[in-house]
Amino acid sequence: MAEARYLYCIVEGNKEITLGDIGIGGSRVYAIPFQNLSAIVHNCLPKPYKSEDQEKVKLWLTTHAKVVEVAWEKFGTVLPLGFDTIIKGDEGIAPDENLKKWLRGDYENLRQKLAKLKDRAEFGVQVFWDPKIISEGLIETTPEIKKLSEEIKSKSKGLAYMYKQKLENLLKKEMEKEADRYFKDFYEQIKRCVDQIKVEKTKKLEEDKQMLLNLSCLLFKGKSKILGEELEKIEHLKGFSVRFTGPWPPYSFV
Amino acid sequence: MEPSRDTHATLVDLLDRILDKGLVINADIIISVAGIPLIGVNLRAALAGMETMLKYGVMQAWDEKSRAWEREHRKKNLLSLIEGEEIALKMYGSYYYSKGIYNTWRPGYFYLTNQRLILYRQDFEEVTFQIPLEEIKALVTREEAHFVKGKKKQVLYLIDKQDQVHRLSTVETDQLKDAIEQILVTLGLSLEVSPVLPEFEKGPIDFLTEEEEVTHRGEKVWYLVPASGIQQETRRPGHLYLTNKRLCWWYDFERKLVFDVPVDRIVKVNTEMKKTSDLDSKKEKVLDILYQANLTKRTSSFAGKEIDEWAEALNGIISGKIGEETETCPQCGKPAPAKKLLEEGCSSCGWVSPVSPRLKQRTENRRQRTKKITA
Repeated sequence: MAEARYLYCIVEGNKEITLGDIGIGGSRVYAIPFQNLSAIVHNCLPKPYKSEDQEKVKLWLTTHAKVVEVAWEKFGTVLPLGFDTIIKGDEGIAPDENLKKWLRGDYENLRQKLAKLKDRAEFGVQVFWDPKIISEGLIETTPEIKKLSEEIKSKSKGLAYMYKQKLENLLKKEMEKEADRYFKDFYEQIKRCVDQIKVEKTKKLEEDKQMLLNLSCLLFKGKSKILGEELEKIEHLKGFSVRFTGPWPPYSFV
Repeated sequence: MEPSRDTHATLVDLLDRILDKGLVINADIIISVAGIPLIGVNLRAALAGMETMLKYGVMQAWDEKSRAWEREHRKKNLLSLIEGEEIALKMYGSYYYSKGIYNTWRPGYFYLTNQRLILYRQDFEEVTFQIPLEEIKALVTREEAHFVKGKKKQVLYLIDKQDQVHRLSTVETDQLKDAIEQILVTLGLSLEVSPVLPEFEKGPIDFLTEEEEVTHRGEKVWYLVPASGIQQETRRPGHLYLTNKRLCWWYDFERKLVFDVPVDRIVKVNTEMKKTSDLDSKKEKVLDILYQANLTKRTSSFAGKEIDEWAEALNGIISGKIGEETETCPQCGKPAPAKKLLEEGCSSCGWVSPVSPRLKQRTENRRQRTKKITA
């Protein structure tokens, strides 16, 4: 049966080495060198890994992460690939040939990317706020909103309802403005401490907090302390919290 | 603050990266399903949107393909032209369609060809309006109030050889008019010079004061004009308008307001069958309006087809005087009487108060329906 290569990452160097049976499903992970680059792979069938079983998928993903991690430690710099990147063969062309053809064609580009990522790591920064606490503060500090919330008390039941909706709309607008302002402030603050920065999509959470800012940051492995100090300042603001994760291989900067 | 790597939340952060990111490889050499490069497609669906993939350029070719397919299949319902017919101008616009109780601006694309002017709605493959160019007798543009308050729009009145008037409106009304005129010239046809616009069906409204809005209008109404000098009292044709400020009657023949009463002066309305003409013994329904004029009370009498509707509208005002206090809609900010807002909701954006009888009725209806279905 035809074979294919499951690709974990690209590293610098050209030694034909094995990392052991640490791959997905316990498969052997090894390096395929081409000039001064190597692809870290395991042998697999030419079909994607897929399953309805969440736990199984999670295990695959963490295994993928682990292999990239091991290579990262061993080689210092990696260009990680996403899950389920499988190089296939074509008629009369082995998968390894295809892989090398690609490495040859993209060689300079890949080398440059590796150079840029040397000794650097990726960190995730997510800032959240508690909309309840923030809006309570806004009612007190925005005269227009405060006036409206006082007025409600003197209205009949039907009108009070209308005023409540008005108040909510107004508050929503103010919250958006506030979010915008904080976003800009935090972004500037964090940008000063890092090499490269990427704005990611914010996600909805079930918890009682909203994600205001989701960033991927690239910086020197040893320099995370300065960023951590800056994030601490944000964490101490009333109603805000920060999630700081990493160091990760530079998935977002390849 | 130290970065963390091993809690549940941080794991999610890492898995997101593995699913969504990483080096992108030329799609020719990696495994894909049905032309879609596969980077954990089935897994990704749960975690990330299509957009992310597009952002990374992986699916551009595929996306382009589906768009091309869409374009291809849309071509089918293009306007069909007569042989030798050529489109000279295409422009977005609308046509005022009025039949029975149904009247509205219907949008579409105007196509001006060397033979016809057509309004075509591609989505419904419907020709809303068309006229052969030689049937056009005259064109007049006029500025009218846009349905967005405070905005004006140019309306093109097209008069055909049967003296029928059509109302058209486009983004560039003057340009459409110029183009039609040019084509007519090349065809050797000419338009009537300085045409007079025949009286528009429901009469013009240019007597409104600031912040005045017509709230009720209708078909022709005959007003019993009081006797003056040697003139006996007679019924004359015109149009009644109820605004948020007054009730007034526009005399079509003299083109001016002859009767004009502030709404808060109206005391009572009454309908009755009466003889309205000396020549005819047939009785007709007549609306009598009792109103306060200076120190005395006066009655004015109107006749016409829609007397009951008028009586209802006016009675609504008399009984609605309580709660006339205006409020603004919490959703769109349009001013309206508080009572109306609460009971009927907002007429401009559709907002409904949860305490309104209308909403209660609606939910009640829905409940009944589901009951029926479950039964």
